[in-house]
Amino acid sequence: MHKHHPIHCIVPPHMLKEIAANGTESQKKLALETITSSAQLRAERLKMAEFRTEFASAIFKATTGGKERIVYDAKNGSSLPGTLVRKEGDAPVADVGVNEAYDGSGTTYDLYNEIYQRNSIDANGMRLDSTVHYQKGYDNAFWDGKQMVYGDGDEDQPVSDRLFNRFTIAIDIIGHELTHGVTQFEAKLTYFQQPGALNESMSDVFGSLVKQYQLQQTASQADWIIGAGLFTSNVNGVGIRSMKAPGTAYNDPVLGKDPQPAHMKDYVNTISDNGGVHINSGIPNHAFYLTAVEIGGNAWEKAGQIWYLTLRDKLTSSSKFQDCATQTYQVAGSLFGAGSLEQQAVKNGWAGVGLNVEAPTEPGGGCLAALLRLLGLGK
Amino acid sequence: MDVERIKFERTGGFAGMRIAADFELSDLPEEQAHTLAELLDDLDFAELPEQLLSDSSMSDQFSYTITVETEKWKHTIVTGDSSAPEKMQELLQMLNQIARKQARKH
Repeated sequence: MHKHHPIHCIVPPHMLKEIAANGTESQKKLALETITSSAQLRAERLKMAEFRTEFASAIFKATTGGKERIVYDAKNGSSLPGTLVRKEGDAPVADVGVNEAYDGSGTTYDLYNEIYQRNSIDANGMRLDSTVHYQKGYDNAFWDGKQMVYGDGDEDQPVSDRLFNRFTIAIDIIGHELTHGVTQFEAKLTYFQQPGALNESMSDVFGSLVKQYQLQQTASQADWIIGAGLFTSNVNGVGIRSMKAPGTAYNDPVLGKDPQPAHMKDYVNTISDNGGVHINSGIPNHAFYLTAVEIGGNAWEKAGQIWYLTLRDKLTSSSKFQDCATQTYQVAGSLFGAGSLEQQAVKNGWAGVGLNVEAPTEPGGGCLAALLRLLGLGK
Repeated sequence: MDVERIKFERTGGFAGMRIAADFELSDLPEEQAHTLAELLDDLDFAELPEQLLSDSSMSDQFSYTITVETEKWKHTIVTGDSSAPEKMQELLQMLNQIARKQARKH
């Protein structure tokens, strides 16, 4: 226990030194004792503060830390999340779907974290929860606002009738679902008509980028197919959507033909599918593809950065395709310079799907105009 | 209730593919027809609200429209994966299966 003398708490160290040097003998003794014990106390306080900081940091890491994944098994039921089967750091299990959900969400986390400096879905280390084996014969995957959910396809049908494999089979589907989470925390694009189709397109864009990032493929090497491997061999198709050539992913006697347009002139007006969110997403999907290929190299680097910042900072819940075109163009200008090749590629990408981007006409007109105005030389 | 006819439509989902079924209960195998009638009875289908939707995210979820006709009444409801009550999941799975079978026949 420390004996607290009033001097400990009141007299500042520099004054104690003066007393120790110039005071009476008893004053000197007391001051010296105080200096010593105060120094010890300060050291202890410092240690305590350091401990507190470390402790707080550990707590922070546990709750909002880095990559943290959990995979649950719904065991063919509908209750979510189901039974925990693999958590962060656990070794792979025998169930391939569990491992795919775990690895795919990990690669998605890595792309967002390493390339876009985003710590998980909410930018604050949110844990990535997935449930596999949802229901029986559930040929779908979705994001329920809190977690990813994957069905096993139509495993309940005879092999000769099966059209879908398990939905964790394609890593871009995992990236797609997680990006719905990112959109939920950022632009909050309403899931209806054009904002909904943009929401879907953002999920396809970053889903495809997760796959390209994993395979380390350049824009020209990538297949730009969403859901490759999801169809069984009974289906005439390469995947669910093609960003390179929307409308060509499948053409099958049972499933029909891929309905995606690649151009505004073919925009589909429908009330089905929340106003065609999975149909008209072909248009912004193709704009991204055209942009990425024109820029060249790894699509996640420049084109991906432009789209990511647009999703994070520019789009709102009611944004439409034209807004996305304008905003990506402006973001490209800010990142790479007005008139840069990258900005030109964005403009050409949108022009390729029938959306024109004009440079801003209001006073402002770019850096040069602003500089001239500042110098008193501009209008 | 003596269910005569059921119309079912599933839209949306990750793949955005529509499937639908329109059938008389008498067209189904007896056991399946019986199970379906029981499920509808358990749900008190005629009394369900027309919109069984929640505020949760709809991202890639299926949207279901079900119409049931009897001699006395006809009732349509719309619901989704997360918003459908637990009790309805078995009905949805059965209707999905019927619709997929019909799609494969055509």
